[in-house]
Amino acid sequence: MTVPVIVESMAAHQEAMEKTIVSLQEAINARRFGELASMCETFELEMAAKGLEKPSDWPYALHLLGHIYISDLNGARFLWKRVPSAVKQGQPELVAAWKIGQCLWTYDYAGVHEAFKGYSWSPAVQQIVAAIKDEYSKKNMILLSTAYSTISVTDAAKFLGLTESETIKSTTQNGWTLDSSSNMLTAVPMVTATAQKLDSSKLQDLTEYVFSLEH
Amino acid sequence: MENTDSLDNLVAQVQGLSGCTEDLAHLASILKQSEEAISAKGAPRLHIAISLLDPAVHSLGYLFFLDAQSCDPLPKDQAEEFLNTAIHFINVCSKDQIQLAPEKFTMLCKSMKESALQLNSPMRVVLPLHNAILKLQPSPQYLTALHAEFFLVCVLAKCYTSASVVLEEQIFEIDPKKCLITPKDFLLYCYYGGMLCIGLKKFAKALEFFHHAITAPATVLSAIVVESYKKFILVSLIENGQVPSFPKYTPAVSIRYLKTCTQDYLELANSFSTRNISDLQRCVASHEDAFKKDSNLGLVKQVVSSLYKRNIQRLTQTYVTLSLEDIASTVQLASPKDAELYILRMIQEGEIFAVINQKDGMVCFHEDPEQYKTTDITQRLDEKIRQIISLERKVTSMDEHISCDQAYLSRVGRDRSRYDLEDYDLVPQKMFQTS
Repeated sequence: MTVPVIVESMAAHQEAMEKTIVSLQEAINARRFGELASMCETFELEMAAKGLEKPSDWPYALHLLGHIYISDLNGARFLWKRVPSAVKQGQPELVAAWKIGQCLWTYDYAGVHEAFKGYSWSPAVQQIVAAIKDEYSKKNMILLSTAYSTISVTDAAKFLGLTESETIKSTTQNGWTLDSSSNMLTAVPMVTATAQKLDSSKLQDLTEYVFSLEH
Repeated sequence: MENTDSLDNLVAQVQGLSGCTEDLAHLASILKQSEEAISAKGAPRLHIAISLLDPAVHSLGYLFFLDAQSCDPLPKDQAEEFLNTAIHFINVCSKDQIQLAPEKFTMLCKSMKESALQLNSPMRVVLPLHNAILKLQPSPQYLTALHAEFFLVCVLAKCYTSASVVLEEQIFEIDPKKCLITPKDFLLYCYYGGMLCIGLKKFAKALEFFHHAITAPATVLSAIVVESYKKFILVSLIENGQVPSFPKYTPAVSIRYLKTCTQDYLELANSFSTRNISDLQRCVASHEDAFKKDSNLGLVKQVVSSLYKRNIQRLTQTYVTLSLEDIASTVQLASPKDAELYILRMIQEGEIFAVINQKDGMVCFHEDPEQYKTTDITQRLDEKIRQIISLERKVTSMDEHISCDQAYLSRVGRDRSRYDLEDYDLVPQKMFQTS
């Protein structure tokens, strides 16, 4: 009685795994990184509901990076907490991915950049890591330009994950000025454009509000 | 032999009566009458009976037979099999049929959860319990007894994000008849829901959950309410910097006894209100054991770190510019560098608006640059207005419903006779005066 059940579940297992990998790969190829976390989570729960053990090469690192990509550090944190410790030991890439999350969580700006550089990422996650890194550098540049009027080259380099000469080059390109006697940069706030126009559909909404207020 | 007949008979009736609505109602009453007879059969016989039924077509009958199997605590191998069968059943069963026996369905789901916990794998029932809630709810506005169970397994399986959808759902209906919900189910829903929100750092929503637990009508104090109040105090400090007093509709028993049960926490809140970090840290140290025992130490640490932020925020209200050194000494941070990092963090999170000048070691505080004219703001405003309008409609319809309620009217009528006739006379006069 028990043998056929096991055979069936093995086959189902194999099939489910293959499907998962294919659809994850499709999302990566289409650069739909924002969907990865919820896809992985659904697969994880479906596997669990079927009572299937996850194989040792389950793409936990990709899942974790998926959470980081959408700035869902809580999701990444709880994923790390629920991964069995045997898997953590067997997947150095997962540990490296969590290092990024950990540094983001503690606002260790320099640590985040080190975590990006500190591991040679496998082809499966290279693209998403690069995307996270780009986004992070961009955000940091905006943050620095709004939070500081003057900042030392050394500190700016740490925040941006660049060498000092690279920092000077990239910030002066954005209109910053360097005072070489004190080695200080004077920042220029970057203005982010936000849509301010209203379209006529808002008028319809207003009409509805007034109607519901009067009745 | 007679036993065999009755079970076979029942199976035949399930097979015959699972078609139309009238038949199903009839079947439900037959099954309810035979409940004892079913559970009196041994597991092997029930197994055979179940194998003759299709969980998707004969959901109602299947439910009764399957639940009868779970009556006793199961040995490990049977728990595994029961869990698999129950999960499959929940996936395929007919919503209309199981809603005819909500109490059975709830019991089945609870035994399923127990089996999963017994096997040490709460994650296996996260998805099935979510599914079960959707099948049991007449509409998404209903609270079921399974909400609390779902939240619990989400906490245990560390699947906090999976609970988000259910956490965000607005609950308006609590119907003990349709969903078999007890006060304990409601309190646990609030408590676990609050815990999930804390984990996801949605503190305002967490406060809402705990608030409902504390103010739920009660005549005795529940341990769940006490634990909720402890977390309520801590989250209030983090989110609002103070603990609000009890609202008017809090049950008398809670107002009377909650404070004595939560002394450690109220002392912490008192110390927090002095805004002195070292006092607060001393207070934490002296009550550390109590906080640890309640598993609230992590939350307490967040309270301490929120006081730094709050103190920095207060400075922005008084000063236009301030040196990093002065900030560090005023809010008792170790060095100007620490103050700089704290401020940078707060700027990043949009909690303050400031510019740091490293050259002079100064910080300029600014006003919120938001001018409330972007489409983003309009969109948020629109969403809020829509919510309020739909809420207003709900309140109006509830109000109309209560105004027509027989029990309410007779009570109001009774109270009215207690007043003097003069009271009535005053009403028209007043009306004349105002008009």
